[in-house]
Amino acid sequence: MTRWLLRRIGVSIALAWIVATLVFLALHMVPGDPAVLLLSAGNVAPDPAAVAELHQKLGLDRSLLDQYLSFLVRLLHGDLGNSLVDDYPVIREIALRLPRTLELIIAGSLLAVLLGIPAGTLAAVYRGAFDRIASVTTAFVLAVPVFVLGTLFILLFAQTLRLMPAGGYTPIDRNPVQHFTLLALPATAIALGLAAVIFRMTRASVLDALSRDFVRTARAKGVSPARVITHHVLRNALVPVLTVLGLHMGTLLGGTVLIEYVFNWPGLSTPLLRAVEARDYPMVVGIVLTVSSLFLLINLVMDILYAVLDPRVRAS
Amino acid sequence: MKRLWPPAAFVAVIILIALAAPLLHLADPTRQDVAHRLSGADGGAWLGRDEFGRDVLSRLIWGARTSLAVAFASALIAGAIGTALGLIGGWFRGLGELLALRSADIILCFPPILLALLVVTLLGPGANTLILVLSILYAPGFARVAYAETLTARNHDYVEAVRALGAPTGRILLRTLLPNIAGPVLVQLSLAVASAVVVESGLSFLGLGVVPPSPSWGLMIRGARATMEQAPLLLLWPCAALVVTILAMNLLCDALRDALDPRSAVAQPMLRLVDRLVPGLVPPPGNAASLFEIRNLTLSVDGASGRVHPVEDVSLSLSAGETLAIVGESGSGKSLTALSAMGLLPSAVHPTAGSIWLGGDDLLRFDEPALRQLRGEKLAMIFQDPMSSLNPVHRAGDQVAEAIRAHRKLSQGDARKEALALFRRVGIADPEQRLAAYPHEMSGGMKQRVMIAMAIANRPALLIADEPTTALDVTVQAQILDLLLALKRDTGMAMIFITHSLSVVAEIADRVTVMYAGQVVEEGVVADVFREPLHPYTRALLAASPEGDDPLVGIPGVVPQPNAFPVGCRFAARCVFAAPACTAAPVPLTQARPGRRTRCIRWTELPVTSEVAA
Repeated sequence: MTRWLLRRIGVSIALAWIVATLVFLALHMVPGDPAVLLLSAGNVAPDPAAVAELHQKLGLDRSLLDQYLSFLVRLLHGDLGNSLVDDYPVIREIALRLPRTLELIIAGSLLAVLLGIPAGTLAAVYRGAFDRIASVTTAFVLAVPVFVLGTLFILLFAQTLRLMPAGGYTPIDRNPVQHFTLLALPATAIALGLAAVIFRMTRASVLDALSRDFVRTARAKGVSPARVITHHVLRNALVPVLTVLGLHMGTLLGGTVLIEYVFNWPGLSTPLLRAVEARDYPMVVGIVLTVSSLFLLINLVMDILYAVLDPRVRAS
Repeated sequence: MKRLWPPAAFVAVIILIALAAPLLHLADPTRQDVAHRLSGADGGAWLGRDEFGRDVLSRLIWGARTSLAVAFASALIAGAIGTALGLIGGWFRGLGELLALRSADIILCFPPILLALLVVTLLGPGANTLILVLSILYAPGFARVAYAETLTARNHDYVEAVRALGAPTGRILLRTLLPNIAGPVLVQLSLAVASAVVVESGLSFLGLGVVPPSPSWGLMIRGARATMEQAPLLLLWPCAALVVTILAMNLLCDALRDALDPRSAVAQPMLRLVDRLVPGLVPPPGNAASLFEIRNLTLSVDGASGRVHPVEDVSLSLSAGETLAIVGESGSGKSLTALSAMGLLPSAVHPTAGSIWLGGDDLLRFDEPALRQLRGEKLAMIFQDPMSSLNPVHRAGDQVAEAIRAHRKLSQGDARKEALALFRRVGIADPEQRLAAYPHEMSGGMKQRVMIAMAIANRPALLIADEPTTALDVTVQAQILDLLLALKRDTGMAMIFITHSLSVVAEIADRVTVMYAGQVVEEGVVADVFREPLHPYTRALLAASPEGDDPLVGIPGVVPQPNAFPVGCRFAARCVFAAPACTAAPVPLTQARPGRRTRCIRWTELPVTSEVAA
């Protein structure tokens, strides 16, 4: 188990390193002078003085290897460089924004799990009308891109019914009620798509587990139906759901960028979108690396959970 | 294929409309008419005009063109690169293999939108940037699919054959392998197109995808958000277009996958136990000595080709402490008969006639809670394969304790103590350690001992053992049989022992019921049946089992499938004694001698056993 765990953590670190390397190389893979590229707006050639200054700032005049090594060293010290726009340290901007994005992600995935797993289990166990209705609903939910869902939510709940605010953010220590009211719509919009995915996976996985011999054994023992489902079916069925869930978190993280924009939620997407437009490369790199690391971390946790739930993985 | 064409037609219509955009005499989608901004459905614009006075219908259709062009271009580029990489990786292995497999792992580390934003920062927004990003995103998926399929295909006989003919590698890859992996690649392609439409619209919505004034659904939603209050319809049209397109594509993906994957065939309808039987219609067994009795049981399955009866008119009975063996080849209906007694039939199989009596109760009329009270207490069952019958994620001791606690109010600790005693009773070495072991840490024989411990935990009156030794090594088989015999002797429980081996029957059973193709064909006391079989099938089984010095004689042919049961004697096709009369009409089960029944119209004419063997 320990060896497996160490190896698994090693894989995550290696992947994080490869991601960082690719992001570093991306700037240099584009033909032409990176500084000219970042400074050019439209067809106007950038000011040579500004180009020289940017060379200086990004260390573009040094050798590629030199730049790469200092990039890695600074990364290990948690230094993601400064914004090209206002010279503000990227890491500080992220430290301010990340908790808000995390809150949205956690609320969304919790909601998705709470919706998807019970619904998927019920659909698989009882089949019939509930299964059909839930499956058709799922197909529709999966066809609605997250930003469309968010926009339609605003149109329906804020614009037409006037039940909820259309977006915005209030810190939790200033007004907790308003904070969670503002969280509700974006979190639900993020959750539904993931809930649909979880529903499908849980349903398929539970159906598969229900047909296994050990379920028949449990029933042959006279174990109660509720216990057969919770102890025998779900314990086995949820293991594969976990892994796939980890992979789908990528879609959720990307969807968060869109949803934060739709609902004016001041998380990571605000500086990210601003930086993409301004070609503020250090800021974009900082945020992409943060979110990718978050994704790797989530998958690491999922795999560890997997091993906790399935003794066969622990042994091998 | 029935489910494939509606979504395919749907997608085809959407693509056709997009392709036909220049022929439809639409207004120029980029021409502004600020005087008529946000006007309703008049003045030639059927769906009204947007915030710049542009024709919404025209923008929707031209927007479909943009979305689909980006989606198909990127999916095709990704498909070509990825499939080539996967083919080469799967064929030559080596570096290509590494690339095909690992590139997917690495690309997966980037949430798609973020990777896209990174590239947009470097290259600026626009359709070409989108196509580049989406190709990078989807190529690894194709590589992985093509790689896996190539690995499987390269070992197939037809590929080996082409290789042996000395065909050049390129030709093998393109002409032989590619067509054979086309199915999964096609599914991947449809997934990529659907997913690309979503990412493209999302980025355009952020203002970082398609560049205005080009029409795009994402851009239209972005624009309509600002005027949501005055003109909510402007928002709904592009949303609807996007959702309908993605829905159609998703349905097509699902249908394609189903069509190419034979495993996900038709869903079985949900069938329930018959409670149609009127209570009291069938009297309980007159013979008070019989503990358990199955009377005229027929099981049915509603299949694609009509209703079939894998078990038909089966009757058997046994008294307390007795052991009855049910013998027959695979497909004779032995296991289904036993499962129906437990109420554990697969959901597609349901009893349509007969009764199953335990004491004075008809189990077929019991509902699930009542059956559950019986299962594991009065009635217990051991299954054929101990590997799959134990739950892999729970400790062996806990699974036995669960059987105890399902029927008796015991503390966790007391139940564990009892499980330990049971482990000792069934002869598990190191019982204390084994309580905490997981199934995968045990041998097959030991797992079957755990199953037996579980079954006898509540001292059942009847134990059903469904081929309990078939999946085990020969040496272990004898040990398990000895254990079952000892347990039976000590507890006095009755046992139904299902097997296909007559040598096991001789060792363990008092009486034997021989089943063939869903029917009982012969029954009687074991010694009598062995000495003088009254059905040719029993004779054939005896001749086919390694007993005594007689040479082994196999039975030619196979058991017919339930949908192909003949009208007359079901064994006639394989029977050396068959006469024309045998196939003319159904053969009844007749009382041949006291305690002996046979389903053969010629039993009186059969030669005695020694003559057959000669």
